[in-house]
Amino acid sequence: MMAAKAGDVLAMSRLMDALAPWLARICGSIALEHGDDAAQEALVQVFRDLRTLREPDALRAWARRIAVREAVRHARRARDQSARSAAPAAPLASPSSDPALAPDVRAVLARLAPEQRAILVLRDLEGLSEQEAAAQLGVAKGTVKSRLARAREAFAKRWHADEAPSRGEP
Amino acid sequence: MSVAQRAWPSAQLDDVARLRAIAAALPHLAYRERTLDAPFEIVWSIFGDLERGVPRFDHFVRWLRITERDGERVRLVSNGPLGIPMRFEAVLRPGWCVMRSRQAEVGMAATPEGSARTRVAHFEGSRFLGALGRWWLGRTMEGELTTLARLCEAELRSRR
Repeated sequence: MMAAKAGDVLAMSRLMDALAPWLARICGSIALEHGDDAAQEALVQVFRDLRTLREPDALRAWARRIAVREAVRHARRARDQSARSAAPAAPLASPSSDPALAPDVRAVLARLAPEQRAILVLRDLEGLSEQEAAAQLGVAKGTVKSRLARAREAFAKRWHADEAPSRGEP
Repeated sequence: MSVAQRAWPSAQLDDVARLRAIAAALPHLAYRERTLDAPFEIVWSIFGDLERGVPRFDHFVRWLRITERDGERVRLVSNGPLGIPMRFEAVLRPGWCVMRSRQAEVGMAATPEGSARTRVAHFEGSRFLGALGRWWLGRTMEGELTTLARLCEAELRSRR
């Protein structure tokens, strides 16, 4: 980490192997079809600003904060553009890169607000506490609690709504 | 089934995207990208072949020998300025090569764009180079990528 911070390209290559798949998952889950752009910008920011990071132990929390911020920003911008142009919602699935179940999760996530996806990612994918999630998002703990409850409820409702027709009972 | 147990969608950060991020962090590097009209296997058989491929398109490299290999970690030596060989440490795997010596840093990445095209990225640099040197290096690298494109096209024709 210190070598990467000092600009050693081999150390940066090792750090890249450790960070890239993880940041891609965070950005993909929040920004969905705009995840590639969000992940690229987050990755550039993380490596460009690495030298400003004082505490090596804070790397993951710091990088996660950048990724979540970029992903929410890209998702919001896409939502706003879509609302302005009154265009239909963006496609719900990107089948090329995901494991078998991912398109289902993606389709359900796509119907949540970017902020709801962010809180689900931090609590349910990253396993952060409410306190940690609040610190990452820069909001109060109570906001995380209520936002999470609403997000989980919305996710479950939409998941089951999608599941029912796909069970295909005759 | 809880949300946590389900598969989450992931973005794609291919090797070119990763090299781009490293290059963006090191302003002393010259960095270029290009899309070549050849499949990944052909491009990487030249671009990623340090001993036989690189001297064919890189004007600075007359020869290069791998002296040690341990999985992806490689040590190598090449001709250097004033006849003094340069020793590099590198990480080398399909689509990705990053190497550094005391004087220089080099990075190469490639990722398929469909089945017939390949996006390549390349950086070179040295902390001893000023802005003018970096500009000149960038121009030289453009020529190297043009040579690489020609080599790939020739290889593609020879395999048909």
